[in-house]
Amino acid sequence: MVVVEATDVVKEYESGETVRALKGVNFEIEAGEFVAIVGPSGSGKSTLLNLVGLLDTPTSGTVRVAGEDIEDHSDRERTSVRKSVVGFVFQSYYLIPTLTALENVVVPCLLDRNPAEAEQRAVDLLERVGLGDRLDHYPDELSGGQKQRVAIARSLINEPDVLLTDEPTGNLDRETGERVLDEFDRVTDEGVAVVTVTHDEYVASFADRVLHLVDGELGTDAPSVEAVGGGVFE
Amino acid sequence: MSLLRRLFPRTYMARRNLLRAKARSGLAVLTIIIGVVAIASLGSFGVAFQEAQTDAIGGFGNELLISPGEDNGQLLDERDRRDVERLASGKEVIPLLVAQWQLESTGETVTVRGVGNPKALYQIREGSIPDSWRSGAIVGSEFAEKHEIEPGQSIRLDGRTYRVQAVLEEEGQTSVANPNEAVVVPPGEIDVDGYNNLVVKTESPREASALADEIRANLNERKERVDVLDFSKFAEQFDQAFRQIRMFLLGVGGISLLVAGISIANVMLMSAIERREEIGVLRAVGYQRIDVLGIMLAEAMLLGIIGAIVGVALSLLATMGINSLMLDGPFDFRSATVMYMVLAFAFGIGASIVAGLYPAWKASSKRPVEALRG
Repeated sequence: MVVVEATDVVKEYESGETVRALKGVNFEIEAGEFVAIVGPSGSGKSTLLNLVGLLDTPTSGTVRVAGEDIEDHSDRERTSVRKSVVGFVFQSYYLIPTLTALENVVVPCLLDRNPAEAEQRAVDLLERVGLGDRLDHYPDELSGGQKQRVAIARSLINEPDVLLTDEPTGNLDRETGERVLDEFDRVTDEGVAVVTVTHDEYVASFADRVLHLVDGELGTDAPSVEAVGGGVFE
Repeated sequence: MSLLRRLFPRTYMARRNLLRAKARSGLAVLTIIIGVVAIASLGSFGVAFQEAQTDAIGGFGNELLISPGEDNGQLLDERDRRDVERLASGKEVIPLLVAQWQLESTGETVTVRGVGNPKALYQIREGSIPDSWRSGAIVGSEFAEKHEIEPGQSIRLDGRTYRVQAVLEEEGQTSVANPNEAVVVPPGEIDVDGYNNLVVKTESPREASALADEIRANLNERKERVDVLDFSKFAEQFDQAFRQIRMFLLGVGGISLLVAGISIANVMLMSAIERREEIGVLRAVGYQRIDVLGIMLAEAMLLGIIGAIVGVALSLLATMGINSLMLDGPFDFRSATVMYMVLAFAFGIGASIVAGLYPAWKASSKRPVEALRG
């Protein structure tokens, strides 16, 4: 099943002159796939991630996530779709310093009708990432790897279809980073697609498939060890 | 899970955010406290000041003093009295006689007023007089003090002896027929054919003014039969002066609350800038703009509520101090004072919310991508 589908995606920014960050990108990502998008700085990786994460809209072309075309959606509708189908993991974790690990995981569901149910799920998720004994710790009491695992638990609280990660191991040492990557592996086993943006060839080597983005265009395929499914690259 | 978090998650997050920068939140609350105290205390002070001054000067605006006009003789006659009573329709018209008699004990001249029903005109402090008053004398408070006279003693005036039956309360300086240094005797004791004055008591300065105009128009049509002295104009000017003083004091209070609002806006803007990434994350994980707006406004409101509660508590203490200095004891709260307290409380919270609106709107309208760009 295809969870992300990008067709002729163009993104332009106005900053004095028009900057074309993405110049017509096409790809599909299947459920349960681990896809790495690699490329040099300024190649449009983050732009692409923002589009797939429904944080931004393309200038032209379409992005469908879990079957939803968000082209004509208002900010409010985009936010609702984002909440139900997308999870985010950032390089700098972005945990809320005034909330405990458990509360940080619950945050996306804090305003829901039944946060108690989400809280139970949060406990399960934290136990799963090995932080069952750190529920009431605040972010400044956790190591970098632990923080990133809290962030992963948070990204899964809404049971998303696709998990988007931006340099998820950028601030971590190799060993801790591997633990995080293993976590992503487990996530994909449950049918969640993981899309990661990275500089790091090592991270890319964990991926089922690597998309090379150069100057806003997807380059030739450079399949990793166990490519799964047939992506469409142009 | 805490109850606050379950029932009011936005307020829960707001509280956490405020506690993160305790000193900054504390200072913002302090500015609100100062604003609330300024409005409430200055308002209460204005009220107490006016009440105290009114007590001192006397509630003079409600009375008319009618004297013979320039075309009349030295005295008002029965016809004048009947005409005034007719126009006053049911209001009390008190005839007043005046004489200057010699006090034999010291030889000095004192003002003696002949009043049929002194209870209608004066407050009695000590002693009592019967309803139909025929004999004896009542003395004013200063007269009593000066000559050390108490009810039951006798005084000799112009060769006659009067038993003092009562001493009057001290009256305000502008009271009509001021009795403080005078002696009051039954009207039959003064041998004149007519009345020196008529006093009319009304309910309000406005009524007094209207009646004065009516009496002038009716009685002085062809010749100046009466001269009507009405204090209502003074009373109005007096009230207006106090209103202006109160407005000025409130203005000072208002300025301090304005400063408080600016300080809150500043605190919130700083906090919104500091938490830009965090707000971006909230938006990314599915918080709507209105949710972020709600959290930020809850922060402003919490600051306002705490400031207003503490401010009103301090104002109550300050007002008790003012009351005990200017009125009858610390708990002598006037309704206008209570109104100022409520006003200050509402303004404290209102100013905080208004001040929080712009920063909250600014924070919530940032696109998550921009907020996360760092």
